[in-house]
Amino acid sequence: MKNIKNTKMELSQETMNVGFIKKVEALSGSSVRRCFQCGKCSAGCPMRSFMDHPPNRIVRLIQLGQWERVLAGRSIWYCASCETCSTRCPNKVDLAAIMDALRKLSWDADGPSKESYVQLANKLFINNIKQYGRQYEMRLAAVFNVKSGQFLKDLMLGPKLLSKGKLKMFHSKNKNLAEIEKIFSRIEEMRKKGDAP
Amino acid sequence: MKNVLNYSYYPGCSLHASGKEYDESARGLFKALKIGLQEVPDWFCCGATPAHNVDELLSLALCAKNLELADAVEGDLAVACAACFSRLKTTQHKLGENESKRKQVEQAIDAKVSLEKPVKHLLEILARDFGLERLHKAVSKPLNGLKIAPYYGCLLTRPPDVPQLDCTEAPTIMEQVLEATGAETVPWSHRLECCGANFTLSRPGVVLKLTGDILASAKRAGADCLVVACPLCHGNLDIRQKEIEEATGEEYHMPVFYITQLLALACGVSPNKLGFGSMIVNPMPLLKEKNLI
Repeated sequence: MKNIKNTKMELSQETMNVGFIKKVEALSGSSVRRCFQCGKCSAGCPMRSFMDHPPNRIVRLIQLGQWERVLAGRSIWYCASCETCSTRCPNKVDLAAIMDALRKLSWDADGPSKESYVQLANKLFINNIKQYGRQYEMRLAAVFNVKSGQFLKDLMLGPKLLSKGKLKMFHSKNKNLAEIEKIFSRIEEMRKKGDAP
Repeated sequence: MKNVLNYSYYPGCSLHASGKEYDESARGLFKALKIGLQEVPDWFCCGATPAHNVDELLSLALCAKNLELADAVEGDLAVACAACFSRLKTTQHKLGENESKRKQVEQAIDAKVSLEKPVKHLLEILARDFGLERLHKAVSKPLNGLKIAPYYGCLLTRPPDVPQLDCTEAPTIMEQVLEATGAETVPWSHRLECCGANFTLSRPGVVLKLTGDILASAKRAGADCLVVACPLCHGNLDIRQKEIEEATGEEYHMPVFYITQLLALACGVSPNKLGFGSMIVNPMPLLKEKNLI
């Protein structure tokens, strides 16, 4: 908060970063500029108390060209994609889609966000799809703990879930796994050629 | 209304592991109601929240691939998990209206995308295709005296133009289905709030707060139990409940049922086949107290 009050914002054609706004609008399919700051998104946001910038301020910062502050903060990674904001916006700004676009931009740039656990979880989740075709919850949780250095996280939960049959020790790969691998490699190829964002 | 109902079935990853009682009870219920359910062979993960969070094209391509696989099986696509349902419907919606995204996805899956097959959540099939009246008639063991807090969470109803399951801010489909079994549903404040979803892995503190509020609200409303239609909501409300009790000092002991578990019980499916034993909060004392088992 302190930071925001004390930072002088200079507005000009250059500082507005219209190029970034257009990029977000193209990726998300939603207008950023239409937001008039009614604050309804933040009022209904279940994750607002975990965010450094509330949802309406995220939009305002982007409108003002301050995207670096948005991408460096943790707010975009603390969005739960619950779609409440997009549902209630009186101006049809699809903020949930804008959040997806911002995360992608930060992700692709290997962004400087302070929030690393959520990104790690996303990475492992997607890797599981690539390797197995489906989610493998046991492996997801175990690898997350190791990679995030939280070896004791939910230690008591594992055996309990195993005994209830809710976690499987072994996981079979999809028979048609090669098809998923091809989807991943085609997308990579398309991006190399500039055919896809 | 068709007399013979047959569906292709996309269970989703959770229903083969942490949400297996949802799968078991859905199959049991559909069998009891004589509704056909045939699993799509070799389906893939839909990508869920992590994929669309950082890579929309991947998310759309994974769902388009699943829709292609589903085409090989007859009948509308029945989906149990609220997140899979949301992703598949979002894909149909986005690719239907956006030409350039559709072309990219077609290039990624190296096939034409097929958007024709209707994707339906189990609730929709039970309430609309099968019908509340028939459901009511199929009840052999009414759930009289059970006070239920039906919990929708996020993705069954939001955003308005995608799932189109029911009204976004004031849905009643779960209440209608449950009341057809003779159960009582309580009005309560948190039925559409987010449970914290997949933060259960990365930031469990978020889940403890959000799910804690939901449990407190259900208790305030005088509910005996919660009913859900999403394996992630279930995991947070059931598996994390003890931790929430320890953190807040509140006592809930509130069983969290999948909607198919209670419907199947009411339609005479044996309780042994409904996965009650794999729930973390033991539902047996409540079911015994209400003379339901």
